[in-house]
Amino acid sequence: MSESGMQYRGMEDFPSTRLFGSGTPMCAGCGGLLVIHQLYDLLGSDTVFINAAGCMTLLSVYPYTPFRGSWLYTAMASAPAGAQGVRDALDILLESDRLRREENLEVVVLTGDGAAYGMGLSATSGALDRGLDFIYLCYDNEGYGNTGQQYSPATPHGAATSTSRGNGGFRGNKKDLFSLWAAHNPPYAATVSASEPLDLARKVEKLRSLRGPRMLLAFSPCPTGWGFEPAQSVMIGNLAVQTGIWPLKEFIGGKVEHTVLPEKRLPVEEYLKRQGRFAHLFASSAGRDIIAELQGAVDRYWEGVR
Amino acid sequence: MYRIRFHGRGGQGMKTAGRILGTSFFLEGFDVQDAPRYGAERRGAPIFAYVRASRSVIQERGVIRRPSLVVVADDTLAGLPEADVLGGQSADTVMAILSDVPEGTWRSRLNLDSPIVCIPRPDAIKGYAGQAMAGVCCAAVAARLCGSIPKSTLARAVREELGFLAPSVLERSLSEASRMFDSLAPYEAVVRDRPDREFSCDNPPGWVELFHDAAAVAAPVIFGGLTSRLLKTGMWRTFRPVIDTARCRRCWWLCSSFCPDSAIHVGDDGIPAIDYEHCKGCLVCVARCPVHAISAVPESRGVRQENGEEAV
Amino acid sequence: MKRLLLTGNGAAAWGARLAKAEYIPAFPITPQTEIIENLAAWIDSSEMPGRLVTLESEHSMMTAAGGAAAAGVRVFSATSSQGLLYAMEMLYTVAGWRVPFVLVNVSRALSAPITLEPDHNDVFAARDSGFIQIHCSTCQEVVDAVLLAYRLAEHPDIRLPVMVNLDGFYLSFTREPVTLPDQQGAAEFVGGFDPLGMAFRAGAPLSQAVAVLGGSQYSYFRYQQHLASLQALDVYDDLEREFFGRFGRSHPAVEAYRTDEAEMVFLMTGSFATKAGNAVDALRESGIRAGLVRPRLLRPFPVRRLRQVLRGVRGIAVIDQNLSVGKGGILYTELASALYGQENAPVLLSFIGGLGGRDISGEEFIGIARVTIDAIRSGSVPEPRLLYTADELRHIRKLQAIASVQQENHCRNHE
Repeated sequence: MSESGMQYRGMEDFPSTRLFGSGTPMCAGCGGLLVIHQLYDLLGSDTVFINAAGCMTLLSVYPYTPFRGSWLYTAMASAPAGAQGVRDALDILLESDRLRREENLEVVVLTGDGAAYGMGLSATSGALDRGLDFIYLCYDNEGYGNTGQQYSPATPHGAATSTSRGNGGFRGNKKDLFSLWAAHNPPYAATVSASEPLDLARKVEKLRSLRGPRMLLAFSPCPTGWGFEPAQSVMIGNLAVQTGIWPLKEFIGGKVEHTVLPEKRLPVEEYLKRQGRFAHLFASSAGRDIIAELQGAVDRYWEGVR
Repeated sequence: MYRIRFHGRGGQGMKTAGRILGTSFFLEGFDVQDAPRYGAERRGAPIFAYVRASRSVIQERGVIRRPSLVVVADDTLAGLPEADVLGGQSADTVMAILSDVPEGTWRSRLNLDSPIVCIPRPDAIKGYAGQAMAGVCCAAVAARLCGSIPKSTLARAVREELGFLAPSVLERSLSEASRMFDSLAPYEAVVRDRPDREFSCDNPPGWVELFHDAAAVAAPVIFGGLTSRLLKTGMWRTFRPVIDTARCRRCWWLCSSFCPDSAIHVGDDGIPAIDYEHCKGCLVCVARCPVHAISAVPESRGVRQENGEEAV
Repeated sequence: MKRLLLTGNGAAAWGARLAKAEYIPAFPITPQTEIIENLAAWIDSSEMPGRLVTLESEHSMMTAAGGAAAAGVRVFSATSSQGLLYAMEMLYTVAGWRVPFVLVNVSRALSAPITLEPDHNDVFAARDSGFIQIHCSTCQEVVDAVLLAYRLAEHPDIRLPVMVNLDGFYLSFTREPVTLPDQQGAAEFVGGFDPLGMAFRAGAPLSQAVAVLGGSQYSYFRYQQHLASLQALDVYDDLEREFFGRFGRSHPAVEAYRTDEAEMVFLMTGSFATKAGNAVDALRESGIRAGLVRPRLLRPFPVRRLRQVLRGVRGIAVIDQNLSVGKGGILYTELASALYGQENAPVLLSFIGGLGGRDISGEEFIGIARVTIDAIRSGSVPEPRLLYTADELRHIRKLQAIASVQQENHCRNHE
């Protein structure tokens, strides 16, 4: 897509009004909440958010809601199925003239990585199979955050979590959810980071011009679960992008394109050393080996790009 | 029975305080209950933990309704209705506050006749990083004020509960606990081991018949938007960001876009304003402002500056 | 009105069609599948307006059903057995959302061992979910119950999902003459769906199914579900009378067959109840004053009606086609709690029968009646009994021998 037709050329084109309500019970410095408000400022209130169990369950606690528009809480495994029901119902109402065009809503699934990478994967794949017209926002905080950051299928190799406190940290590897989506050949899928709001806004603009299943997989630093000061939340995002650990890319028209190519990638240590969950890697030679492994994986990934 | 409630903020180690105190009593042969109370609230939000200790078997359950001791780790909570520091306070409830404000001021502010012990805040808990140490200090306060726990037992309990920490942090915790314990010698055993019950046999429970409400009333549905604004998450702050408008370059988007809580709004003049009712004090804006026009100020000082009691 | 031969599954599909269900989230499972096949065929041939979407599981199916009802359309769905249990989390969830729709459950015994034929443990597992439950014993009842179910579900004092239950095989695959209400009459009876202001549209923000924190708020919402369900007792009576006035068929909340002057009654649910009715006729002919009591509504449990119907009865044989492992028959327990402390309460006997679709023979009904009469006369109530014959035991021993099971010293036989 050419840059010229786009609305968001620079940060000055950004919405200045904050549409998402304050007063939520999310932790100070929550990277998930940050990306939700950036998205909400762009999408606006003609939306219904279908929420999967996770940290964001607590966005709406009776009688308080930060949404200007609508919301439905479902369960951990089946938010995309809830979106299916709501989307189909809205279509039925539109077709039978019980809902006016201007009353229509964009259906948005809001899910953490715990649901997205694991329990909710079947429902997500089903919604993709059916070509459901919806936006899927996964705030990926790389663990079961709401229960105290146990490892999830999104946890990076080596990270200490409440259930991987041993020497090597988490033994598994982070699942590649972006590629899982791409394998379904959806109209749109992208990774984003709230630390790069312009990239995010451009992606939101693109996905709004498309219909069908559209995903935003959002890097969501978690001060509580990852062990860093809340003030560094955005900087952690910057470092994830600059080290190449979190590639910013999109799947569109059947092809993967990287939207940000870090010119000179920083060593992954710059990212790792600022988080308590990786502190143990710097304390032993075995840990150093894991750091080298992580660096190697990032290098191999970027060698494959271009 | 001793009934102790610790009030603090998420991140200030109130659960730790409860566990250290619980273990201390346990080591002294008491029957014990200790528990933290969680809600939706996160780091910085008012939370509490509680401990019961008795020479006989404890049959009570759940939150303490009539405390014999209330320990307040963060004096900014004392006046917050949401924190309910004063809940169940009676004439013989001892209130211990870590605060640099004198006891007389608290007595008139809180309108209390019951005993108040004001303890100057140790330096160790003043910085952002030291907050977790507040829990250790509070446990020491409670141990001394209850008077049934020797210092050696307190130290043993600290080791048991915090043994997983780095040796240097454990040593610092032990020395803070010891210093706090020693400094409170005049208050040894001001809290009484009371044999009373938490309930009265004379008060009716006040039950009401719950009648059927129409479905549109009785469904868990919010008819409307943005009601979360009624929740003043500004009370979570321990530090507040303050904008120096003279320095602000009026880029208008940066601090506002990066504020996770949508608590910074930019006026038509391009000058951002922080909504202190909702700002949780994460200080992302302080870290992001490219011209360093936003600084972090301890909340208590920020309040005094806001009230004109201290120069900015 | 039109009279034709229909299976129970066919009747369920006709119920959805006549009620003008607009949205059908589906997932195939034996013995329910024919319901969604029927509906899909009608929708594909434009005989029926509507949209059928096959989800990837019953859990998702129930979520989509709840979501669509929350968005303001009339929803129908159907499942069975393992499917109902797979959706169990969402049964409680959507009932808590207070969304109205109708779910047909075709009863089938639960795994393990996995099997195909029916008993009622699946539907009883959902007993406490908040769904209203109507249990059918004929194919005619199935179509009528679906129409009644929409009125109950969408009533502004109730607004809870309703489950209509029929037995797999004995009803689902069995054709019986069914009188179908005409489309116009059915549509008039059911009426349009009023979402009571709880539907999603731009400009009218609505947060549904929000969390609560604290037992006090939870108690309010949960108990209000209970109170709403209890409202369904009187509402059902009114609707049933209205239905009779319009269609000439009566389906009271508690069916009482020949209970006048009855000394003993069978008490049970489901399709085997018609066999009990047959036994009642035979017993009456032989001079035994027998009767049959069949609660159609299982939730809410029609306690007052049951007490009325059972007044004067001296002995009740509760036949449970289910088993609460470690306790016994579920209906027996329910009835005991309804009758405890009543003046001149009858003796209660518990029989477990028909598990996994095992037949209950006429001889067994007669035998049950005799045991019950003996208990009334002697005042001595026997232990609960599983309906299981010596032939059956011999047969399972043969199978065990083929399975190379070492029987010696490991089992007690009667020979």
